[in-house]
Amino acid sequence: MDSKHILTIWKKELRDTVRDRRTLVSMILIPMLLMPVIMLGMFKFVSEQAARQQTQIAKISIVGGDYAPQLAEAIKSREGVEIAEVDVQNYKKSVAEGEVDAVVVIPEDFQNKIAGEKAVSLGLVSKSTNANASNALAAISSAVAAFNANLLEGRFAARDVNSDILSGVTVLPEDVATEQETGGFILAMLLPLLIVMWSIVGGQYTAIDVSAGEKERKTLEALLLTPVKRVDVVFGKFLAVSTVAIISVITAISSLYLSFSYAGDLGIPMEGGSGLSMGESGGSGLGFPIEPQVALLLFVVSLFLVLMFSAVILSISIYAKSFKEAQSYIGPAYIVVILPVALVNSVPGFESALWMFALPAVNAVLLFKELFMGAYDWGHISLTLFSLVIYSVIAILVAAKTYSKESVLFGD
Amino acid sequence: MSIMETLLKVQNLVKEYKNGFRAVDDVSFEVGAGEIFGLLGPNGAGKTTIIRAISTILSFSGGKIEVLVKDNRQYAEEVRSDIGVLTTDIGAYERFTGKENLEYFGELYGLSSSELDKRIKELTELLDMGSFIDKKAAKYSTGMKQRLAIARSVIHDPKVIIFDEPTSGLDVLSSQTVRDFMSHSRESGHAVVFSTHQMYDAEKLCNRVIIIHKGKKIAYDSVENLKVQTGERDLEEAFLKLVRGGEI
Repeated sequence: MDSKHILTIWKKELRDTVRDRRTLVSMILIPMLLMPVIMLGMFKFVSEQAARQQTQIAKISIVGGDYAPQLAEAIKSREGVEIAEVDVQNYKKSVAEGEVDAVVVIPEDFQNKIAGEKAVSLGLVSKSTNANASNALAAISSAVAAFNANLLEGRFAARDVNSDILSGVTVLPEDVATEQETGGFILAMLLPLLIVMWSIVGGQYTAIDVSAGEKERKTLEALLLTPVKRVDVVFGKFLAVSTVAIISVITAISSLYLSFSYAGDLGIPMEGGSGLSMGESGGSGLGFPIEPQVALLLFVVSLFLVLMFSAVILSISIYAKSFKEAQSYIGPAYIVVILPVALVNSVPGFESALWMFALPAVNAVLLFKELFMGAYDWGHISLTLFSLVIYSVIAILVAAKTYSKESVLFGD
Repeated sequence: MSIMETLLKVQNLVKEYKNGFRAVDDVSFEVGAGEIFGLLGPNGAGKTTIIRAISTILSFSGGKIEVLVKDNRQYAEEVRSDIGVLTTDIGAYERFTGKENLEYFGELYGLSSSELDKRIKELTELLDMGSFIDKKAAKYSTGMKQRLAIARSVIHDPKVIIFDEPTSGLDVLSSQTVRDFMSHSRESGHAVVFSTHQMYDAEKLCNRVIIIHKGKKIAYDSVENLKVQTGERDLEEAFLKLVRGGEI
């Protein structure tokens, strides 16, 4: 290998890339600006929707309210409740058609049963596909619970018995997760899949441009006519693709991390899947630093992911005669990689086995999750790095071999 | 015109594909310094295959090719330094200026900055590129791209130059510039291989020609001798007679 030739090709491809507006947009602008806007926008939208849901007025009807005026009053006086009248004969239809969110049906013998200290069942009609039904049910349940508490207190008082007898066992939850662990949990949900995606997407445009693009522009033959060895041509292009991809990944991760860190200052609460939340209004977002060793491991693993995917995309792209054709080849390949990765990332409490840390891309997602949660399993780390190095080397050799095939280069 | 040392020697060249098709079948010729040698034939005759085999980017099944006495299979990189090839693909890197395109290829051919500057100036003048060499190649016309491609193929001043359809798509003025360049190369002692369909250009420029048809050599002589042997007034008529009638 001639390092001078490799350097010349590397520099030229990078210069060409920087002059291509489309690559700059996909490599810098989108990860730097658009992705944080989308991610934070998503969080803000979800939290606003949840808040709106909670404050939405529940429309409730009471059928047979005269049989239990106190209970009816308890329901009416709940915050966020509006009482509506319905046709008593067709109250189910009213619920089905969305005129009301729920109907409470009080039986005629309510007072008799209460007086006789017998159990009473209330009918509660709602439609599960109505987004506001849960608010209505919550308001009714709360009113019934309060009514029950009053009722039982009265009964115990009549018997000269302390109503604390009902307390039994209570639960006092205590969360020992540190701020770091909570932040790590949120990062572990969001970043691993994004890092893997950007390892592919970040250099994709450049990979296609330097391979299929050269063929399409009819400059490839001139390049192959120079005294540069085939393997040096491949290596120079591969380095250019990897450089662009790693810059894109670093930009994406840094931008997202900074956005999440300052989300609280923007009034955007960051919520985890288990109801964990960080940085509610007035807070400072994630607000914890990533440890240097974690950052280093993230970088090294991301680097090898980038090297592997850069070589793979380069090998695939050279088969195509045009940019468009190359994109059509890479699309299915992208899905093959992302599907298992998305699965591993999305399944809550996914149990990983050691062999999974030898699967490309899947191993990176699993490792990133562990690192963000503060878990350092050196077996997992070693296996991930070792396997990614092997895959990278294989991918580069395949790319070099592909560039030697006359049928691929000249397929005419 | 006396021909000097042989710079390019093609001996019994065969290119057979896996399906048994022989694109080139036992072709031999030599090209000396200070001559323009015509590589002629109809479409699909095998001319481009021969050019690619000489320039080492295509493997071949049999025979031998020597450039400046070096076997092009054993010394592929060195041979590519000794030859310059203008193919029919005249694409340029469009986000680069013409000068930047030439600088890139000059670096790949191992020229130093000072050598490159001098050579680019020289070629800019020879090929009349002064008005557009500093503009981005995206704005070039076909004629400009062709001249840039020629400059790119000879940036390293190779002893053997192969031109494949160099005047294709060019206007009269640009075509003349290219013809003048080929003549200048001959006068400077280079061996020039000129592959073309334009029999008029071949007749005007070539010292000797080889005519290829269906991968085989059907004629190999000076232009004058071919006209005499076929009894035709011009090379085009001689060519047609040979292609339709067979080998002489």
